[in-house]
Amino acid sequence: MTTTTFPRALVLRVRPWLGIAAIAAASISTYMSLLWAPPDAMQGDVYRIMYVHVPSAWLAYLAFIVVFLASVGWLWTRQRWFDAVAVASAEIGVLFTALALVAGSIWAKPTWGVWWTWEPRLVTTAVMFVMYVGYLLLRNLSTDFVRRASRAAVLGIVLVVDVPVVHLSVLWMNSLHQLPTVLRASGGPSLDSSMLATLLVSVAAFTLIYAYLLAARVGIELRRHERIGALRDG
Amino acid sequence: MIRRLGLVAGRELLAERRQPDGLVAAVTFIALLVLLESLVVGPVSARQPAVAGALFWIALAFAAILAATRSFDRELEDDALDAIIALPGGRDALFAGKVLALTAVLAIVGAVGGVLSLVLLDLEVALAGHLLLVTALGVLALPTVVVLDVVLALRLRARAALVPILALPVLIPQLVAATQGSASALSGDATGSLGWSALLLAFAFVYAVLGFTIVPAAIE
Repeated sequence: MTTTTFPRALVLRVRPWLGIAAIAAASISTYMSLLWAPPDAMQGDVYRIMYVHVPSAWLAYLAFIVVFLASVGWLWTRQRWFDAVAVASAEIGVLFTALALVAGSIWAKPTWGVWWTWEPRLVTTAVMFVMYVGYLLLRNLSTDFVRRASRAAVLGIVLVVDVPVVHLSVLWMNSLHQLPTVLRASGGPSLDSSMLATLLVSVAAFTLIYAYLLAARVGIELRRHERIGALRDG
Repeated sequence: MIRRLGLVAGRELLAERRQPDGLVAAVTFIALLVLLESLVVGPVSARQPAVAGALFWIALAFAAILAATRSFDRELEDDALDAIIALPGGRDALFAGKVLALTAVLAIVGAVGGVLSLVLLDLEVALAGHLLLVTALGVLALPTVVVLDVVLALRLRARAALVPILALPVLIPQLVAATQGSASALSGDATGSLGWSALLLAFAFVYAVLGFTIVPAAIE
């Protein structure tokens, strides 16, 4: 059986530091988002939800790309910690996709006048959410570890095709949603510098929160593997 | 490899010819869905090119899931799956053979469903060649994803519910492209139908490469 002691020890060592860094960054980000950044000339203070919505959407992309990489890692090496990373990242990705959808919906009501509209970015994001809920469902219905990990890895690789579709949907189809303002093919960011700085700090804070949650969840999963292994060995 | 793939696909089609329960179920299913959906939305709405296309492609996607599930059920009932997997290169041959056989079955189901839609809804086809092209590419784009998801859900409890949950979201781009492509061909927009055909071809290629590269690893 593959040992899980080394990755779990590493996770336990870095987790507290990630937690401290995440709390510090989240505090700075909250101050900048609510007090430091100026109101938008058109939307007033409503736009501030962007500092939750955009980092959540970014984390959803990041989390599902990590699922893809961990899935490739599992199929390639059969190291158990790759599977632990995949399940942890998928769960966090689903959580942040839901948060991005809810935050977007709260912003849409005063701006567009509706909670939901059938525009490409919203629909493809909702589809991505459903896909990864299906991924977690597939994992939960399988009891044998190797079978579950292999099937989930195949699905984790297949589903990543949707990530660029979500990001580029606003460019490919007629969309009500705002076009990309930071990651633009046609040059640099198109935001005011103080808003951009606040957004980047928020993205960094959310990324640290993701890293902390990932370390915590991977630790739990590896501990579960060790317990099952110990029970099997008598 | 090609020989083994041909054997699996040929065996599948032979079994379907001797006992065509999967094919009959899929044809009956698509006919029923086309009738039911047209009745529910009303004949005036159902005759609109985009609506008629959507009804047909959604029905075909469900028929594909039904036919693929039935095909693997037959293997499980006969305990034939383990024997195929035990052969050298058996996993690859099983996946590719099933995809090939499902494509052939879907071509028949699609032809029946398409003719039914055209006749019952009295649709006028502006660009028949383009409609054939879109239909052929749509039939090519569906099976890889459907067989992939049936393989992933194989021998799991709640499989009947899991396969559509896994397959339908992944099929959304293909269904949108096939629906819009069909609507363009029906209404005489040659550029539109060719554009959507290219997208169908791209998705068929991407999922074929992904499927043939990684899915055999998930077959036990």
